[in-house]
Amino acid sequence: MIHQIVYKEVLENVLSLRFCLFLLLAILLFAASGFVFLGRYRTQSQNYWKKTNENLLALQKESDQLYKLAFYQQKILRKPKPLTLCAEGFEKSLPNNFKFNIFSIHLPEIEGRSNFMLPHFSDIDWVFIVSLILSFVALVFTYDSICGERERGTLRLMLSNAIPRYTVLLGKYLAAMLTLVIPLLIGLIVSLIIVVSSKDVAIDGAAWLKILTIILLSLLYLSVFVLLGVFFSSRLAHSANCMVILLLMWVGLVILVPSLGRIISDMSSQSPTQIELQRKLAEVAAQIWDNADKFGKNASNMGTKPNSPGNNPPARARLKTALTNARNQVIEDHHGKMLAQVFTGRNFTCLSPVVIYQRASEAMAGTGINRCVNLYQQIQQHQADLKQYIRGEDAEDPDSLHLIFDEEQCAYWWKAISHKSVDFDTVPKFQERDRALGQSLKLAIWDIGLLALLNLGLFAASFLSFLRYDVR
Amino acid sequence: MIWKIAKKEFLLNLMTFKFAVGTIVCMVLTAVFIPILAKDYQQKLRTYNDNVARNEAELRKVKVYKNITPTIYRPPSVLSVFSEGLEKQIANSAKIEYDRIPEISAAAGQENPYQAIFPVFDASLIFKIVIGVLALLVAYDAISAERERGTLKLMLSDTIARHEVLLAKLLAGLLVLVVPTTITFTIGLIILLSFPMVDLTPSAWVRVGLMYLASLLFISAMYNLGLLVSCLTRRSAISLVLGLFIWIVFVVVVPNGSIYLAERVQPLEPEDKIDGQIKSLQQAYKSEFNKSKPRRTNTSVSDSSGAFGHFYSRKINKEGLEYFKEIYRLEHTLGIKYADKLWEVEHSYLNGLSKQKKLAHNLSRISPISLYENLMSSLAGTGIAGFQSYIMSVKTYRDRLIDYVRFRTDGFSATSLFTPFTIEQMEHLPNKSEDPSLDLRDLPRFTLKADVVVDLRKAIPDLVLLIFANVLFFALAFVAFVRYDVR
Repeated sequence: MIHQIVYKEVLENVLSLRFCLFLLLAILLFAASGFVFLGRYRTQSQNYWKKTNENLLALQKESDQLYKLAFYQQKILRKPKPLTLCAEGFEKSLPNNFKFNIFSIHLPEIEGRSNFMLPHFSDIDWVFIVSLILSFVALVFTYDSICGERERGTLRLMLSNAIPRYTVLLGKYLAAMLTLVIPLLIGLIVSLIIVVSSKDVAIDGAAWLKILTIILLSLLYLSVFVLLGVFFSSRLAHSANCMVILLLMWVGLVILVPSLGRIISDMSSQSPTQIELQRKLAEVAAQIWDNADKFGKNASNMGTKPNSPGNNPPARARLKTALTNARNQVIEDHHGKMLAQVFTGRNFTCLSPVVIYQRASEAMAGTGINRCVNLYQQIQQHQADLKQYIRGEDAEDPDSLHLIFDEEQCAYWWKAISHKSVDFDTVPKFQERDRALGQSLKLAIWDIGLLALLNLGLFAASFLSFLRYDVR
Repeated sequence: MIWKIAKKEFLLNLMTFKFAVGTIVCMVLTAVFIPILAKDYQQKLRTYNDNVARNEAELRKVKVYKNITPTIYRPPSVLSVFSEGLEKQIANSAKIEYDRIPEISAAAGQENPYQAIFPVFDASLIFKIVIGVLALLVAYDAISAERERGTLKLMLSDTIARHEVLLAKLLAGLLVLVVPTTITFTIGLIILLSFPMVDLTPSAWVRVGLMYLASLLFISAMYNLGLLVSCLTRRSAISLVLGLFIWIVFVVVVPNGSIYLAERVQPLEPEDKIDGQIKSLQQAYKSEFNKSKPRRTNTSVSDSSGAFGHFYSRKINKEGLEYFKEIYRLEHTLGIKYADKLWEVEHSYLNGLSKQKKLAHNLSRISPISLYENLMSSLAGTGIAGFQSYIMSVKTYRDRLIDYVRFRTDGFSATSLFTPFTIEQMEHLPNKSEDPSLDLRDLPRFTLKADVVVDLRKAIPDLVLLIFANVLFFALAFVAFVRYDVR
């Protein structure tokens, strides 16, 4: 019996005007997303490869003297990923430029000028289309699933059969999902064809698996809205009222709740300002300089000869290392506060399934703010590796003082770090590593669980509600 | 007869479920969001006052003329509660320096760049989205549902012209929708005024009034759109779907699409070119400076930190005095000259940005929602015009300041430019903390004139287009209704 209900519903939906209209819209939007992604990916890739090669060439030039390698400010750009087709994660506005040498990392910055006079616009990726448009379509299809049938008189005819009520509900749910899957799949295929046929983008096996997972996530998300529609349809007696309630719910969940994020994050803690940061850095530096003698006699002196009586290289090394560590700590704290502020805001807006879905897709695709955090950590790891390498190479040189601290003049005059040249091929170079599928899943597991829970809850609620529904 | 129909429609609509739910939702949303936004504004105002006070304190510490480099802050606009516009995106402070002309720039590497993941949020969101949807819901069944119920043919069997029926429905719909709009606006204003730091000047009240009118125009445009859709279809369910489809296109597709298209059609100049031009200008400055600077002979100078992070000299020998007099004179005159050249490069870049923004703006004018949003932001003073007039005033203030310093230091050649003491005074220097500050009582002060007229002029095209959209939708609805099958 359930097959017949599903078949009839799907046929009825597919032959209606609303299906044609929204199918057209979905195809157009997915095609547009494919084209937008291609254009953006091409320019970003060119820029990325140019800058990275410049960085590597400069690094090679510096490797003719070990100490220069230590002080060279490397610039790492964020690599453009093919999976930003699925979930861009606001990457165009997030910091993409990381400068560091082996002693300290600067705060991430945004490189490149963009038009700040234009209002922010959401970049069109799959997550945008699914979370905004397809959820709307889900509501448009299910708002009259129960109460519309009742108004037309066919609900009592259906239930006069020997069919349990939950079968009817399940049938309607499956039919609505199948109706939604059609524009989703057609749109996805159109988008993928556009991207894959351009040969500019390389999607490897792991990426295909991730795309599949994102598609399943989208289905989970859409089923939340289908069940929402069915639930309200089974609560009310008039389909017009049902539409009103559903529309207002959609506006609240999809548009209003995510916008609250900014306000909540501003309210939760004061934004750590640049002025504060500079002030703290100056304070910490002044504190250390005032107690310079704690690190040894003449630690604050810096003459050109290491063996002259006025200089005390080990003491200076200690002083400078303490200074570098203190500064790094301040910068880390600042960065941590910024991230904490943003994550608080985001966690609060998880009231809306849109944010949960966005977060899960970003975790699967490896983009968005979590990627920035991950990249920052990877750079820290690389920095430690590079420092270890330099220490190792330096230990082999008998001429140097083996004092690795952050003062280029001293390293030059006193040979605190060796001046020998190194083979560029042995120098560790930074490569951003993508997360494996298992790790991405682990990140997204809570959000997937939340969505599944929402689904179950709404289904149970609609079931209970439909049991007591007056079908006459 | 129009009045009778209108009254009946009005009372009918007033007592429906959708109207009640819509109004309650609007009221709840306003009551929840306006306090949050007002608190945010208070915070911004407090920061602004602190910054201005700090600036004043630094000015009092100034001991030499070359250190007068105050920062001018832009007061946050009260009406940004209703429409945030570009407030969070454009820098609201400008530093006055000799070698740079201040221009509009991005909000100084935003305090927290990670906050870019959150969308913009202001009260006009409630109007745009919620009341817009409400207008559509009230209007979609105006004609087609009447037809389904059978009362349309009864109404038209009377000696009443079709246009009278339509006008009556328009009147009724507008009256119904005025209710939630006015209630929302009033609640918003009351909550806003209940905050202690909020103060509305008469010009702000004029703006509020105009914003209310703009909201009414927008609502009526959405109602006319719903009426049009209702006259095009025979069943109310179809007209609902059609109306919602058009609404989604106007809300989501057109604004984002127009920005994307503008970026493609009018791409910005590549940054390398701009950076290259700036670099070459800086090289030219350096080479010209090095060519004309005097030779450094046996100079000895001892500096101390002064106001605004600069320093001033406390003890100089005679050669040093002459040397530095020449250096600073050169620095200032050359700096001012090159500031103009650098400004031209930056200005041409900003013109490119403006052109792109204008194109995006024009493309998005298809959607009444974008028209309304732009209108609200220009009326609230948070549009680009507000920032441009602010930067203009800062620029003229910089010129006045430079003239003042030039006058006081005889064309930048007096020693008071870099040291507060004469050679004789330097023999018996007082304690560092007792160094005399400059007498700046006749320093020109910065005042920002809030210009309502400029903002209004920017808002007029959008206003006219909104009125035109109203008329267009109603005319199309009329044409469709004249051929409507009422049986």
